[in-house]
Amino acid sequence: MDPITIILGLIIAGILIVIGVHFIPVGGAPAAMAMATGVGTGTVQLATGAGLTGLVSAGYMYHFANVPMSYVLLSGAVGSMLMLGITMLIGNVIYIFGVGVPPASAKVKFDPITKYRQDIYVSPGTEGQGIPTVCFVSGIIGAFLGGVGGALTYVLLNELGLSPAISALIAIGFFLANAVLAAYNIAGTIEGFHDPKFKRLPRAIVSSLIVSGFIAAILVLAAMGGVVL
Amino acid sequence: MMDVNTGLGLVALMGAAATIAGAAEDLESDIGSQSNPNSQVQLAPQVGVLHRIFNKAISGEPPAYAFYSSIAATVAWILMNANFNIIAAFAIGAFVASIFHGIYASTAYMGRIASQRRYGQPIYLDVIYNHLPPIMAHGFVATFCILGLSYILWHFFEHPFPFVMLAFIWGITVGAIGSSTGDVHYGSEREYQNKPFGSGLNAALSGKIVTKAEIGTRSSIDNAWFCAKFGGPATGITFGLIVFLDNWRTLVFDQFMAIVVGFVIVALLIVANWLLEVWARKSYGPYPEKLAMLEGGA
Repeated sequence: MDPITIILGLIIAGILIVIGVHFIPVGGAPAAMAMATGVGTGTVQLATGAGLTGLVSAGYMYHFANVPMSYVLLSGAVGSMLMLGITMLIGNVIYIFGVGVPPASAKVKFDPITKYRQDIYVSPGTEGQGIPTVCFVSGIIGAFLGGVGGALTYVLLNELGLSPAISALIAIGFFLANAVLAAYNIAGTIEGFHDPKFKRLPRAIVSSLIVSGFIAAILVLAAMGGVVL
Repeated sequence: MMDVNTGLGLVALMGAAATIAGAAEDLESDIGSQSNPNSQVQLAPQVGVLHRIFNKAISGEPPAYAFYSSIAATVAWILMNANFNIIAAFAIGAFVASIFHGIYASTAYMGRIASQRRYGQPIYLDVIYNHLPPIMAHGFVATFCILGLSYILWHFFEHPFPFVMLAFIWGITVGAIGSSTGDVHYGSEREYQNKPFGSGLNAALSGKIVTKAEIGTRSSIDNAWFCAKFGGPATGITFGLIVFLDNWRTLVFDQFMAIVVGFVIVALLIVANWLLEVWARKSYGPYPEKLAMLEGGA
């Protein structure tokens, strides 16, 4: 694959990751005390957990003989979606049976997907709790994009001639860089695509464009210059 | 190519190892009070609540477990190359990781509590002595199991990633899961057990954690006892399901069908979550305070 295509591909991968992270509903520390809607952990941690699970699936698929690239990308997406889907589902089981709260969003009055009323189900003195359907679906979309982004990074680095181990290592770093960019933009918590913070997405895309382009250029130059990785 | 029956057995073994790893990881984070609920333990002395809860947010759980798993896998890899028995290599690797874990846990506890001197929070040496062994032991179990499932994936399923990297990745994943699922039980329920069941933490009550136990003063080991009934096993099931389902679909089906089956499982997860939400809304109903506000025209 020619270097320009690889650079462009890595930029697209970075942008996919950064968009994906914005879709993932994270409530940060407050959600761990059922004070905010979303999964009770940090943005980067959850997105990376999902993205890397996808990377394991994609890496496995890539090394079968004669597998189309689309299969590898989709495999990464499925791995990621499975991780996040199961985590969100069991997270909700804990909110519902362990804490005794119904999932509810504090950012919208009605769930855009199910049309269920939200505000009267929000525990008093909190910013919502649990993972209602809209957040769950948003998270799955985010995991899909993040998984494709991570898998695309891995495939392109392999195409650049790097070994699977080094490709995976750089793909993890690349994923983290973009996830951290998104986390700065999100600043703590986001419920998903229906959250007003989601409108901040364009500036994260611009940041990712610069960061991913820079990393991609260095990687391609290093590989072309004969650095053995 | 491995026959499907052997493969299924290995995938089941990976799932079982992941289940134990997830449960041990979550309970370790409860005993050590790591991750997000620790924000309340950290805050407690500032609002006048002195406690005997362990306090070690060394880092987020995913990087912490990636670190322990990588150390354990590296040591195990070196020993395996020196023709050690594999299980012994895993045990020694996990033991070395648990020593690092213990060092970080004790320095984190002393550093964090020492910084709260101005609020009158004492450093209890017996808390360190009592809590370090269970913290290290649970960490050992989690790391050992992660080594096991990484080894199966790398050796038997010939995954292209190196063994140490697989351990690193599964460490990140188990940390992310523990932080997202089981910790909610600790943070939302156990830390505020004196508040009515069925409510999130009212922001005005932040930091006012429960410090009395069923008998005497509450320690973090009491917290693990409570969370072992729900949060810990739930975390284990989450990690076990992820490892099992992700590997089962690639083993049993061909490449294309593995992807289709993955999408079907994800669709089922969305439906299951929706059913759960509907059940919760029907069973618990809206909050009376919110309805009263609504009727009052607020």
